[in-house]
Amino acid sequence: MEVANLGMNDRPMRSGAGPAMLAEPMPDAANGGTDPIIRIAGVGKRFASDTQGSEPVLDAIDLTIRDNEFVVLLGRSGCGKTTLLNIVAGLEKATSGSVLVANRPVTGPGGGKGMVFQQNALFPWLTAARNVMFAAQSRGQSKAEAAALAAELLRLVGLDAVGDKYPSELSGGMQQRVAIARALALDPAILLMDEPFGALDELTRNEMQDELLRVWQVRRKTVLFVTHSIWEALMLADRIVVLAPRPGRIVLERSVDQPRPRSRTNPGLLALHEAIWQALQAR
Amino acid sequence: MDRLIGTRLARFLIPAVFLALMLALWEFAVAAGWLRRLLFPPPSRLIGSAIELASVGVPVGNTLLYNASVTLARILAGFIGALVLAIPLGLLIGSRPLLDRATQPIVGFCRSVATLSLLPLALVWFGIGETSKIFLIGYGCFWVMLSNVIAAVRLVDPVLLNAARTMDIPEHRLFMRVVLPATLPRIAAGARIALGVGFMVIVGAEMIGTVTGLGALIMEARTFYRTDITMIGMLAIGILGLVLTSALARLETRLMPWLPRGNAEAG
Ligand SMILES: Nc1ncnc2c1ncn2[C@@H]1O[C@H](COP(=O)(O)OP(=O)(O)O)[C@@H](O)[C@H]1O
Ligand SMILES: [Mg+2]
Repeated sequence: MEVANLGMNDRPMRSGAGPAMLAEPMPDAANGGTDPIIRIAGVGKRFASDTQGSEPVLDAIDLTIRDNEFVVLLGRSGCGKTTLLNIVAGLEKATSGSVLVANRPVTGPGGGKGMVFQQNALFPWLTAARNVMFAAQSRGQSKAEAAALAAELLRLVGLDAVGDKYPSELSGGMQQRVAIARALALDPAILLMDEPFGALDELTRNEMQDELLRVWQVRRKTVLFVTHSIWEALMLADRIVVLAPRPGRIVLERSVDQPRPRSRTNPGLLALHEAIWQALQAR
Repeated sequence: MDRLIGTRLARFLIPAVFLALMLALWEFAVAAGWLRRLLFPPPSRLIGSAIELASVGVPVGNTLLYNASVTLARILAGFIGALVLAIPLGLLIGSRPLLDRATQPIVGFCRSVATLSLLPLALVWFGIGETSKIFLIGYGCFWVMLSNVIAAVRLVDPVLLNAARTMDIPEHRLFMRVVLPATLPRIAAGARIALGVGFMVIVGAEMIGTVTGLGALIMEARTFYRTDITMIGMLAIGILGLVLTSALARLETRLMPWLPRGNAEAG
């Protein structure tokens, strides 16, 4: 039993993953044999300071995400997407339920959970390259290694020439590219993205979606991506999870089997769009 | 014409020409008898007085440069003393919500007390020597600085802290890695405001119990009906303030190259 468990979790672990992990629950056999890397089980959240009625912000959320899967959380604003992402990131505590990442309970931030925030979260006092290096050095890389990695990642996200620019000198789209490079510099097992393109104009946004898919195909990661845009979800996701507000709950889950790059005229996507649109009306 | 206004030369020339016109108008107004010479000494007379002040030193034999350096030394002593105390204390208070809450009314009150109303107290406490002057400047600078530093910490964007947390920066290191650099621009802005306060306080502080410093010069000149000297003294304080403020702004751009250009000059 324990041997089988070990075999199925045969992925590189971060330091500190001792034999204790053998006691963790078995991976879900229903997931076609691929390891679940994120397991959200019965997560509920109620803020102490909440004034908006008695319904919890999140109520009994169950979600299992496979390794390398690209899952999009979709829902209207205020339905608890950021809260759920923060709980997975370890930045916020759930009121009930549990979150396992790589079979270990999330007790706090860090430890290979990269995050791209909804608002600009670059350190304004560091250049683009230094921002990326900050992340690389935080996991023990030397300055030279970090500099090399920063150059490589900035090139990967399509920013070759702006390494020594400060965030205030970059456009919104460029800032989010740097933020993605910074999150990748952690070499995270999972990448959490909270409406990373929400503040961008539609053209830039579409370009960034293509960029992200390109990067994701180069550096395979498990991505949990939050958006309120149905089309963004349809273009990016392996699987779309629709949330409804108060109580925050999952009202629809759909896999998107279309190959990428996807076209907006694809009839399969149009049908899905309609189903999601209906689900989003839930109150 | 519009294109001319943007050039570097024009930026200097336009205000210079305007200033020259105003001075000429003033000179003419006195010559024509519209303004009384004794009350509004014309620019030509001011130039003469300035030379007199700079070389001989009137009315008590201290040259203009000497008075200016005394004033500068008092301002810097009070200002730097205030910074040295207010920055660490403000960082401490700002990062402890309970302490912040507890001290808020005191800081707000002390900041609002018109510094010069403490002049009689300062004289009783510290006598008429240097200490009371430096105390007054320091008092004015300190509370302004303190409230700015506290606000700077309070206003650090929590998303920056969370970003650092996702990068495994432990809580006890967040202060040095994130809070401190994030507060620097507001601390610098606070310093600029505090310096301005120092300049407001100095003249009053020098009006009693001393014959040195630009404030004393201005007061002394009054007893001799030398309005020209008062004006030169005002001018000297203005220039001193301008020089110091722009030096501070330059230091700011040097220390914080990430700030959008023009940020330092604006406040
Ligand atoms: N710190 C907090 N304190 C109280 N209520 C909060 C807090 N954070 C979020 N909420 C509430 O939780 C709900 C969900 O917020 P959020 O997760 O930010 O939604 P979304 O990201 O989907 O727009 C909102 O009603 C919001 O007002
Ligand atoms: Mg949100």
